[in-house]
Amino acid sequence: MIELEGISKMYARGEHGVVQALQSVSFCIAAGEFVVVRGASGSGKSTLLNILGCLDLPTAGCYRLDGEDVAGYSDSQLARVRNAKVGFIFQSFNLLPRTTALENVEIPMVYSQGTVDRRRALAALDRVGLVGRASHFSSELSGGEQQRVAVARALINNPALILADEPTGNLDLAAGSEVMGLLTNLYQEGRTILLVTHDDAVAAYASREMCLCDGIVVSDRARVANLGGGAP
Amino acid sequence: MMMGVLVGIASLAVLSSLGEATKRETMQRFKNMLGTSDAIIVRPGGGRTRGMPTLVNVPPTLTFEDANAIATELPEIKAVAEVQNAFDIDVKYRERSTSPAIFGVSPRWLALRSEVVADGVFFTAGQNDSLARVAVLGLDVSKQMFPGEEALGKTIRIADVPFEVIGLLKSRGAGPAGASLDNVVLIPIGTASRRLFHRDFLTMLIAQVRNPERNNEATAAVAALLRRRHHIQPQALDDFAITNPAATMGHVTRAGSTLAKILTGVSIMALLIGGVVIMSLMSIAVSERRKEIGVRRSVGAARRDVVLQFLFEAVIVSVAGGMEGVVVGWSGLQAVTRWQRLPPILIWQPFAVAIVLSLAIGIVFGLYPAWRASRVDPIEALRS
Repeated sequence: MIELEGISKMYARGEHGVVQALQSVSFCIAAGEFVVVRGASGSGKSTLLNILGCLDLPTAGCYRLDGEDVAGYSDSQLARVRNAKVGFIFQSFNLLPRTTALENVEIPMVYSQGTVDRRRALAALDRVGLVGRASHFSSELSGGEQQRVAVARALINNPALILADEPTGNLDLAAGSEVMGLLTNLYQEGRTILLVTHDDAVAAYASREMCLCDGIVVSDRARVANLGGGAP
Repeated sequence: MMMGVLVGIASLAVLSSLGEATKRETMQRFKNMLGTSDAIIVRPGGGRTRGMPTLVNVPPTLTFEDANAIATELPEIKAVAEVQNAFDIDVKYRERSTSPAIFGVSPRWLALRSEVVADGVFFTAGQNDSLARVAVLGLDVSKQMFPGEEALGKTIRIADVPFEVIGLLKSRGAGPAGASLDNVVLIPIGTASRRLFHRDFLTMLIAQVRNPERNNEATAAVAALLRRRHHIQPQALDDFAITNPAATMGHVTRAGSTLAKILTGVSIMALLIGGVVIMSLMSIAVSERRKEIGVRRSVGAARRDVVLQFLFEAVIVSVAGGMEGVVVGWSGLQAVTRWQRLPPILIWQPFAVAIVLSLAIGIVFGLYPAWRASRVDPIEALRS
């Protein structure tokens, strides 16, 4: 499903030479796993997420997503992979302003097929319980609702991998557990999820926990997913 | 933000429409006067007479024989019509009187024009030879002398000589100077020279050229023939003046073009300013919408998609400005034509060009901001 082999990422940082954000990271994620990645800030979590999401290319190593080796891919090829195989969920929701919930969900379809399938978008909104809010502008929605719209947008093209970056970081407890409930449902349906967080309560939902430190995977263990929701 | 494009497009459209309309109207006026635009006019007296030549202000140098020679000796000329005319001659019918221009014209005058008689008939060569006292009235004259009455068959007195009205002319509109061409009475030139004016020289002759493409050659041939017939020495000046309407129209068009060039420059400046404004506002939009760009890139927009999106937006803004410019320009044009008493202008080409131009401006000036939008780093844009 997802294979990383010796993935390294280096950034040039002014006169101080290079920063090694990831150092020869290798692991596999099987289809249907719910992986949580933890680590202090600067540990390379975000870099890993960007590479997994094909927003960034590794300096070295081999990344295979759903059987596709993305090394050497052009900008438009990477865009196609992001569109078809990756669904992003961000900490700050990142819905387009002055745009309705429905239109936000439809955006990925614009880049995959050029046209929008309104019925499919409504079904995705129904999935996150917001079909009644379809015509509301994103600014009229609460934080929890915005994040659920973002989940619907991530799902619309039926991606192989869902990447979530601190999805509950900007939400209160109730809204956060609602979003985590949604992700748990997706996991139970067999979707592959990778979530970055440093919140223990959120990490408790995952079936596998990985820790990063200074660009190296320091621990990687299976855990019993808390399917019931809430803190353990 | 569309103002520059609006102003530029509006003024460009008005200018080019007006230029085209003025050209057409000038040609139309010459055509009104001559009936055809492929004729040249010969007047006696080296072009020194001002205004409309009449029997009292021209030298007696251009003769019936000259006209005959031009018609028969020059292959470039298809037909010739002789003209003798005078103003301020009283025309009376019962107690009504008016002073139109009296034109003695050759019956061939009809052949030079098409469809000029609205009612009745034109005089024939036979009537001309027999010095028949028949008249064809212009619209202004028939309206004035016979308001609500039948004019045909009535007898009018031109300088106390009785003439029978046998035909009515179609309205010809305005001449090159803007005056009405309908305030005229036409009589056979034979009758005019022997019975009315008692003059055997011409005030004007109209020569129709066989091939309108070769107007200038025909003009030169007529000049050469007349110089020979009038025994003019090589270094001496002509004792006649030839007007070539095609050449005159060229002058009219050129005279208008200096002003047109300046104004065109101004509108192009306005368009460029409009373009620069679009460019800077689109650049601001790009920095304000970095986050949107990041989101779009993350869900699958390639750089090319981002370029196209921002380019499209710039084009929409520019074309919207252009369309408003067309509306404003169109209204301005209607106002100008009314003020200048030009006929309504129905020329769509300048407006089509204007729309295409605004499209081009949107593309050219939208390109840089669109390119910058595509260079926004999605990772950084999404982090903020």
